[in-house]
Amino acid sequence: MTLTTSEPISRLGLQLPFERATLANGLRVVLHPDRSLPLITVNLWYHVGSKNERPGRTGFAHLFEHMLFQGSEHVPANEHFRFLQQVGGVANGSTWYDRTNYFETLPSNCLDLGLWLESDRMGFFLPALTQESLDTQRGVVMNERRQRVDNQPYGRSTERMHELLYPGDHPYHWPVIGYMEDIAAATLEEVRQFFQTYYAPNNAVLTLAGDLDPDTALKRVEAWFGEIPAGPLVPPVVAPLSPLGGEQRALLEDDVSLPRVYMGFRAPAYGERGWYAADLLTGVLTGGKSSVLYRDLVYERQIAQDVAAWVSPYEKVGTFMIVATAKPGIPIETVERAVLEHVDRAAAAPPDAADFERSRNRMLTELYSGLQKLDNRADLFSQFTTYFDDPAGAAAEADRYLEVEPRELADYASRWMTEAERVVVTVVPRKAS
Amino acid sequence: MMTEVIRTAPPPAGELRPFRFPAFVKRSLPGGLTVYAARMAGVPLFSLELSARAGAHRDPVEQARLATFTASVIDEGTRRRDSMEIAAWLERLGGYLVSAADWDTGFVVVAMLAQHLDAGLGLLAEIALTPTFPEKEIERIRQQRLAELMRRGYDPGAQADDRLAEVIYGGTPYSAPLLGRVESLRTLDRDALLAFYDRHYSLAGATVIAVGDLDPEDAVRRIEESLAPRPGQEPAPAAPAIRPAPLAGISIHIVDRPGSAQTELRLGHAGVPRTHPEWFPLNVLNMVLGGKFTSRINLNLRERHSYTYGANSRFSGRLGPGPFVVDTAVATESTGAATREVLGELRRIREEPVEIQELEETLSYMIGVYPYTLQSMGDVAKRLEILSTYGLPDDYYDTYLERLAAVTREDLLKGAREHLHPDRIAVVAVGPADELVPQFEGVGEVTVYRREPEPAAVASSD
Repeated sequence: MTLTTSEPISRLGLQLPFERATLANGLRVVLHPDRSLPLITVNLWYHVGSKNERPGRTGFAHLFEHMLFQGSEHVPANEHFRFLQQVGGVANGSTWYDRTNYFETLPSNCLDLGLWLESDRMGFFLPALTQESLDTQRGVVMNERRQRVDNQPYGRSTERMHELLYPGDHPYHWPVIGYMEDIAAATLEEVRQFFQTYYAPNNAVLTLAGDLDPDTALKRVEAWFGEIPAGPLVPPVVAPLSPLGGEQRALLEDDVSLPRVYMGFRAPAYGERGWYAADLLTGVLTGGKSSVLYRDLVYERQIAQDVAAWVSPYEKVGTFMIVATAKPGIPIETVERAVLEHVDRAAAAPPDAADFERSRNRMLTELYSGLQKLDNRADLFSQFTTYFDDPAGAAAEADRYLEVEPRELADYASRWMTEAERVVVTVVPRKAS
Repeated sequence: MMTEVIRTAPPPAGELRPFRFPAFVKRSLPGGLTVYAARMAGVPLFSLELSARAGAHRDPVEQARLATFTASVIDEGTRRRDSMEIAAWLERLGGYLVSAADWDTGFVVVAMLAQHLDAGLGLLAEIALTPTFPEKEIERIRQQRLAELMRRGYDPGAQADDRLAEVIYGGTPYSAPLLGRVESLRTLDRDALLAFYDRHYSLAGATVIAVGDLDPEDAVRRIEESLAPRPGQEPAPAAPAIRPAPLAGISIHIVDRPGSAQTELRLGHAGVPRTHPEWFPLNVLNMVLGGKFTSRINLNLRERHSYTYGANSRFSGRLGPGPFVVDTAVATESTGAATREVLGELRRIREEPVEIQELEETLSYMIGVYPYTLQSMGDVAKRLEILSTYGLPDDYYDTYLERLAAVTREDLLKGAREHLHPDRIAVVAVGPADELVPQFEGVGEVTVYRREPEPAAVASSD
């Protein structure tokens, strides 16, 4: 076990120092000292998400995340949150297409508590697994799906978008939360197998950020995690993707008052230079009141109530989305045509200097603003280490944006935002029965 | 060599490093403007906020929401620049501008990179002192707010919140949503906005909060130079009292939403003002009851019964008696049962003192989590705004931890008995009425609300 020290880089002088190490069992550890507050974040990423599921068994990675809060060999059921909360800890987990993360921010004198809880569920989870806790969490997750998707106005639209943007056997086709019937079908045996396949130290990254001394903290990590055996090699996810080769459209009826259009395109994978260009393009189009789409559709023509664009940071292929809601009385087709005019313009020529500069500066302030919170910083380190084995990438994120040239935004749009590669999902008010 | 660890029990904590609320400067400037400034140098940003006594509390009932409407137009043009010129200039520098109002204050916030402090101050002064309220922008924002209200009418969570406010606060300024009502939004005109601005955005009695990568003393000096109250300007008048009529018994209000996948559920009644002497123990009481993941209500509804993905409760701190609300979304067939469980928890916490360990764990949670809630400049600015809005002493946050540690089980029991009313409470459920009505048999009197037809004028905007 050796420590290597990085050279922090950032053009505005922002320091994100870190040290890294790898335990003998393959667990990668990143240590980011910042002693300004008596807080420490324990941030653990497993390189498994809904991407690792298969059709008919969707939603499993997320349901599993819930199970991991139900206790382990030495942590009684329902006590995980109690142990953390009684010292003032804030904890949660989240599941996404490519990864699942677990995190707790604690008073820094309680580092061992966080390490105990995380190492116990990494190394000693199966003895505590019961049918009863699976049944309870299945009920909780079904209510989570109802709350976040089924009972939300427009709630089914991003799901439909993904179904059309990626073919049925592609791992971004199905929603992270899964389909209701699949959540209902999950068995205890599948929970066991999933754990054994993916929840091993060699498939995880642990970042500690905050009030710590790197050498001491690393010794504690070694003490708690060192004895957990490495797991088998994780099966790679192969996701070949051929072009859509023709516009895909869907029309959804929902209990809403204002129609809305979702326009989706694929984008380069997160980390590629083209992804940053696409992200800067979202800022040109909808970042702020003076952005191109907001100004034209919402402010001047007043045909849209709102408009937003973003590109999701996925490991295999990015997803570029533009969403606009029609003003009362405005046909959604009018809004769609207006959005398309600007998409075509983005493909035809680089953005104006002012629009480009606005987008770039906005990305930087957003980035810095997010870095105020310890958990965000830890997430960034874990993310770069999980996807690219490169914790230094966290501090270099600002530079990635600064390297992009205006013409690269047009390059992205002309190559990826074509009619044949476009998906349009429209949500309209349900007709009165 | 590997250190031994003991896994069979939670490892003991080391020594807790003390934490203090960030140091800040507070100055009362000639003319009546108060400034709070604090240095938070973690990232090269600053946030500047003008907080005026211009919250929705001060709206005349028939003018809902003059306050939030005025706040949303105040940055839409000044004597020097129009709305889009301001936005284009600021956004090119990577800056953010928000103007809005909540119940107690109207505020303008500018956040930018640290090197642009003078530019940020200039903008704040320009907006605060020379807004022009152009007709064109008023009309645009009126249409936007009407459309937003229309959308809100289809959002089950918002429908539940709005119905609850109507039931608890009917006839008072707290009854309408912050967005306003269709009827009043149609009639509020430029004169009304200007009058509200003149009366409520007086810099005499207002507060500026500067937090970020800045020198507090220097910030105070620069604020004094750029934001002087007009000579002879009077402070905004005090907020009028809000006295909702007490609820009689348990009433059930079902908002029919056929085909809902789930039911949005609220229970609530009027609470106490933020300045109430028992605010502090009531907050601790709420933490035990529904304020954290391991609270009684969440563990009951989520972990014991899996009725829901989550449930919480809170007292809303306002100048007037803001609501106490339990908020959740449950499987429709469990709505009646979940309501009975919540009422049971409210009764239980009034009948017997909380367990000693439960209080200890709650206090240690609130003490331990304190620094976590103060990481960003927004977190600190919000606390300084609270000091200013509710007239709390300067050392309020310095003594916060000591006062927490002094809260007793008797304080909580007294607070619960006086300020929780499980037998005089409103229950709102938004979901399919035909499935919901039978579930409330024996709980209380049921009223069903069906969706009102769309107001014609809203549907025909041009």
